[in-house]
Amino acid sequence: MQILFFAVILAYFAAMMAQLVGAAMKKPAFVKAALGIFALAFAAHTVFTVWRGIAAARIPLANQFEFASGFAWSAAVLGLALYMKLKQDWVLTVSIPAAFLVASYAAFQPMEIRDLMPALRSTWFALHIGSATFSYAAFAIAGGLGVRYLMMLKKGADEKDTHMRQTDYMAYRLICLGFLLLTVVILSGAIWAEQAWSRWWSWDPKETWALITWIFYAIYLHQRMRMNWQGKRMAWFAVIAVVLVIFTFAGVNKLLPGLHSYAV
Amino acid sequence: MKKAIDFLRSMRFGMILLVLVMLLGFAGSMIVQQREPMEYVRRYGEGAAKVILATGLDDVFSAPYFIAVLAALSVNLLLCSIVRFPKVRGAAGRLKKQAETCAMKENLTGGDAKKLGDFLKARGFKASEAQSRTVYIKHMAGFYGSFLTHLSFLLILAVGAAAVLTADVQDRIVMPGETIELDGGMRITVHSFAIEDETGRLDFTSDIEMTAPDGQTKRGEIRVNEPMTLSGCKVYQQTYGTAGAVRVSNLINGASEDMTLTEPCMLTLDGISGMFYNAVYPGYIEDEDGSITLITSSSGAYADPVYDVMSVAEGDMTAVLAFPGETLTIGDVSFTMLDPVSYPGLRIKETSRVLLGALYAVFVLMVAALYLCFFMAPVAVAVDETGYAVVSPKTQTGLMLDIAAVLETKPAEGGA
Ligand code: HEM
Repeated sequence: MQILFFAVILAYFAAMMAQLVGAAMKKPAFVKAALGIFALAFAAHTVFTVWRGIAAARIPLANQFEFASGFAWSAAVLGLALYMKLKQDWVLTVSIPAAFLVASYAAFQPMEIRDLMPALRSTWFALHIGSATFSYAAFAIAGGLGVRYLMMLKKGADEKDTHMRQTDYMAYRLICLGFLLLTVVILSGAIWAEQAWSRWWSWDPKETWALITWIFYAIYLHQRMRMNWQGKRMAWFAVIAVVLVIFTFAGVNKLLPGLHSYAV
Repeated sequence: MKKAIDFLRSMRFGMILLVLVMLLGFAGSMIVQQREPMEYVRRYGEGAAKVILATGLDDVFSAPYFIAVLAALSVNLLLCSIVRFPKVRGAAGRLKKQAETCAMKENLTGGDAKKLGDFLKARGFKASEAQSRTVYIKHMAGFYGSFLTHLSFLLILAVGAAAVLTADVQDRIVMPGETIELDGGMRITVHSFAIEDETGRLDFTSDIEMTAPDGQTKRGEIRVNEPMTLSGCKVYQQTYGTAGAVRVSNLINGASEDMTLTEPCMLTLDGISGMFYNAVYPGYIEDEDGSITLITSSSGAYADPVYDVMSVAEGDMTAVLAFPGETLTIGDVSFTMLDPVSYPGLRIKETSRVLLGALYAVFVLMVAALYLCFFMAPVAVAVDETGYAVVSPKTQTGLMLDIAAVLETKPAEGGA
């Protein structure tokens, strides 16, 4: 079944290439094809995820591979949902690469199905980790929109253009969604930690970095709301913030091992 | 004075404090915390270690300056919320007034007013007639969103600190079959403890019974993620250990006793000869030449336990490796090694139920408040035959774009 996961990655890659070629050469047929392949890849990814959940007899979000796969899947869900709402090609330009890159990262993680470690056997597991995948996906696409915004600006686009304003606004809305979900992640994590380890908050590196990321986005929201920052500055903010998200998601696990295991 | 207070309650000061929390969090995650001074010298060199220890960066999250930043953030939020509350209360009425009197920003042509009105009603806006125009209003509750968000953050800091500081926490090792009594009269019995479940999967489960001073009792299994609560007292399966078990028999009078040993000790009748218990190990590896290497740690049950003991007889000490079932006879006493006993380390926490309930409530409040902030921004749209205007404390780019799509025009600037 792992072969299906590699097929999903290939399909995301094919969709990304079709989208890039279509956008660069202004060929709507390619963009249409990209959308079709992306939808197919997403469907296959869904099948893979459900299969893995059945095979493991649990929600498949228990290790770095599964979490990254869930993150990529959430990026595809958000990308397709946004596309259906806005019918704008640039949504695909950003969400397909996000799904592809995160799924590729997943492919480098150990893939075997392992028993759920005792500390993860909890009713909070689904809410805590499920909201994290969607939160990160929303932030990743917002960051991608930030990159796109800055690139368009470099190419001479006017900040007042409708599509530029739409890009800026969508990045903000995605950050709102991501922020709300990250709040759920942090609060459900605190409740879970109290159930598991008797402490609400331990300043474990994962917790600390989730808080750092949360505060960074809180600052983004304030600058936008009260200082009326928009456009370029906010795009930079969204891009830098994704670096924090990536560190919280992957860097902390690799570089700052902490409490997130049931230690004796 | 007024300037100082203005600064203390300003958003700028709030943002500075949030950046400080971020930076200190960064330091606290990069520098290992709460270690011995020598550990810092080993990891970072003498010079850096000195700086870390002198500035408290070895324990950032308990450092006075970190607590001070959190306290200042609380004060800042409190002042900011108090000052803003009256404004929040009046804002809903003002929005409606503004929509009733504002100049129309965009032109409408014949039929468009109805089209726009239908669109807004379909979006859940409530219509009211005023001054020859229709005012469509939605999400007035959204005015309270950011106020409630800040309030909930403040309450999480305050109630969380109170819950943590007033909780009574103790760690106790309780042998299977043993009962302990807490100061308040709560009794806890451990009936049994198992490291693995029946399929061999690591599970760390204690079967415990709690009896409250008022006679209420509760029995059940606890494991990680599943503590047991009775009368505000919560018992966690926190750690575990494996103790040696030895049957000591007096060969002269036939008396015998089973003893559970959690740490090294001398078992003797006369104070001179006997058995010195060192440890029990989970297993061993036997080489081809018969030499034995002990396995010193295990996360599961002890598969092939080995006792590391010393026979002490008339001043002579001899190291002995013994297995369960084996007996050492030293003088008039025999020591029979039994199967080791696994035992739980329990964490017992008593927290005020009121504070606990309040903390859960403010968690829910924060999520609901953020939802109000982000997805229920108050907005009013004034429409007459000649044009329309969108009034909102927030940018309404999304709504403006949707209206433009409905009217098939270029979108206007959003919000007032
Ligand atoms: C980590 C703590 C904080 C969080 C999570 C937070 C969250 C928020 C959110 C979500 C908004 C609404 C933004 C939007 O709707 O786009 C907001 C607005 C605002 N925040 Fe904060 N905030 C925090 C700390 C502070 C602090 C310390 C201050 C300083 C006084 C402050 C002052 C404000 C102000 C004045 C507004 C605008 C409110 C309005 O006009 O309705 N915030 N905040």
